[in-house]
Amino acid sequence: MSGVHGIDLFIIISYLLAILFFGTIFRKYIRTTEDFFLAGKMLPWWVISMSIIGTNIGAYDYIGAAGGAFRFGIAQANYEWIGAIPAMVVSAFLFVPYYWRAGVYTVPEYLGKRYNIYVRLIEAILWGIFLVCLLGIFFWASGLMLNTYLGWPINVGILVTAVVVGIYTVTGGLTAVALTDVVQLVVMFVGGIAVAILGFWQVGGWSGLVSKITATHPDHFKLFLPLDNPVYPWLGMIFGLAFVLSPAWWCCNQSIIQRTLGARSEWDAKAGMLFAAFPKTLIPLLVVLPGFFALALAGGSSQIQNPDQALPWVIKNILPPGLAGLVFVAFIAALHSSVDSTLNSAATVWTKDIYQKFIKKDASDKHYLIVGRILTIAFVIWGVIFAPITNKFPGIYVAMQNLLSFFQGPTLATVLLGVAWRRATQWGGLAGLVGGVGISATLFALKVNFLYVAWWSFVGSLLINVIISLFTKPEPLDKLEGLVYGLVMKDKKIQNIIARRVNGDE
Amino acid sequence: MNNFWASIPLFWGKVVATLFFIGVIIWTWFRPKSYIFSDAPDKKIWRDLRIWATFLLIIQIALYLIF
Repeated sequence: MSGVHGIDLFIIISYLLAILFFGTIFRKYIRTTEDFFLAGKMLPWWVISMSIIGTNIGAYDYIGAAGGAFRFGIAQANYEWIGAIPAMVVSAFLFVPYYWRAGVYTVPEYLGKRYNIYVRLIEAILWGIFLVCLLGIFFWASGLMLNTYLGWPINVGILVTAVVVGIYTVTGGLTAVALTDVVQLVVMFVGGIAVAILGFWQVGGWSGLVSKITATHPDHFKLFLPLDNPVYPWLGMIFGLAFVLSPAWWCCNQSIIQRTLGARSEWDAKAGMLFAAFPKTLIPLLVVLPGFFALALAGGSSQIQNPDQALPWVIKNILPPGLAGLVFVAFIAALHSSVDSTLNSAATVWTKDIYQKFIKKDASDKHYLIVGRILTIAFVIWGVIFAPITNKFPGIYVAMQNLLSFFQGPTLATVLLGVAWRRATQWGGLAGLVGGVGISATLFALKVNFLYVAWWSFVGSLLINVIISLFTKPEPLDKLEGLVYGLVMKDKKIQNIIARRVNGDE
Repeated sequence: MNNFWASIPLFWGKVVATLFFIGVIIWTWFRPKSYIFSDAPDKKIWRDLRIWATFLLIIQIALYLIF
């Protein structure tokens, strides 16, 4: 692929310069930490929706999902459908309004208000480490992509990504991140639709695709696969993915939730999350179809040895010059929209949950804004340095994913009871979180499939939280104001307090 | 125990998924109107997020019944 056509190179360089220019326009609007971390609470629902999906879809998803579809078929789409849509609805209707009403910057901050400082610290450290390590992995992926497609040395590719994304994220904060995500999502869809149209043309339309694939892979158009499938057993898809991992991701993930916290109103926050589910429903067009095209056109040959080569094969063999550049720009856009969000969220967690809470409590807002920007620059530099290390130790990515999966079930249980059950106490929350992680670690050591680990750690954490809460002193009502669903719905006095708080009267 | 789970036809996966989607639709319609429209600039019908959630989940039901 390194023999790139001139027009493709022109499109790619034009995109990089345009996104850099567009992103830095917003620097003049950043005066406070609220501007920097929450876009001044000015984001409308449609920006939030598009930014959420831009953040959610990374280049790894493109390559990995196309490979998954090549190998296992449409079951890969479970991650975009049952593994996302219901959770996004629940997040929009239950979790997002309470985070927004609580006026917090981060999910750990909400947990600190609802439970105690230990729960906040555990969650903040987890997310702080995870997001920062993810940066190194993203930077390496970007260097590798630019090397594969353009022939640039990997270090040059990493530096280009760091400079472009770093500059607009440091200067424009969440505003620049969210609005560039919008542009990047449009580019991703244009590129994905171009692949879909040309792919269908080559395989003879939908019926041609189905007949070519089912001739050799009869189960490739089944969403649920038997329990002996090593990756997508149907029971794990429902109980592990749909009931636990997906709600944990869509209701508790800082980089996803942060966009809704920057909403201009509670309705925009809810609508932003809900309407994001529409483009999410279409994501398989972008990430699953290329795997099918590769299988239909080259599955019987030895051209594709590794399923992850499915998408590069499609770009190389289906797309003409110009369109190949456009699709590659879609890749870069997917990667950038994930890097900028991770960078901004990492800076938010480290500044608000760790620096401001535990290191320097009573400084001015300007001080924390400077710290946020310094940390963003520091994380860019860290990502550039850490990127080659992630390649030397490929287990780092797997280890980070495992670490996060340990916490997914327990975090969901803790947040769910925190929002939905007023009787959940601070010690119940702490015990549930720690106990749930213990269950995860035990099941992981027993080599249980991670989907089942998620389910049982969620159930265990929920039970521990309930039992300990019932044996400990209930939290005072004034602590729970605006943080617990039932309390707000039933208590007129609390509704009035929240209304005044939202209007800025107190 | 593993034999028991393995003996369940895949068809039941579709049944559980469909019931799950229907359950979420019903749950959204139990949210009070005031809660749905809270902080909205007006109460036009398109701002009723329950309608959009229902539409979204019906699409999901269709997809899981087809595939």
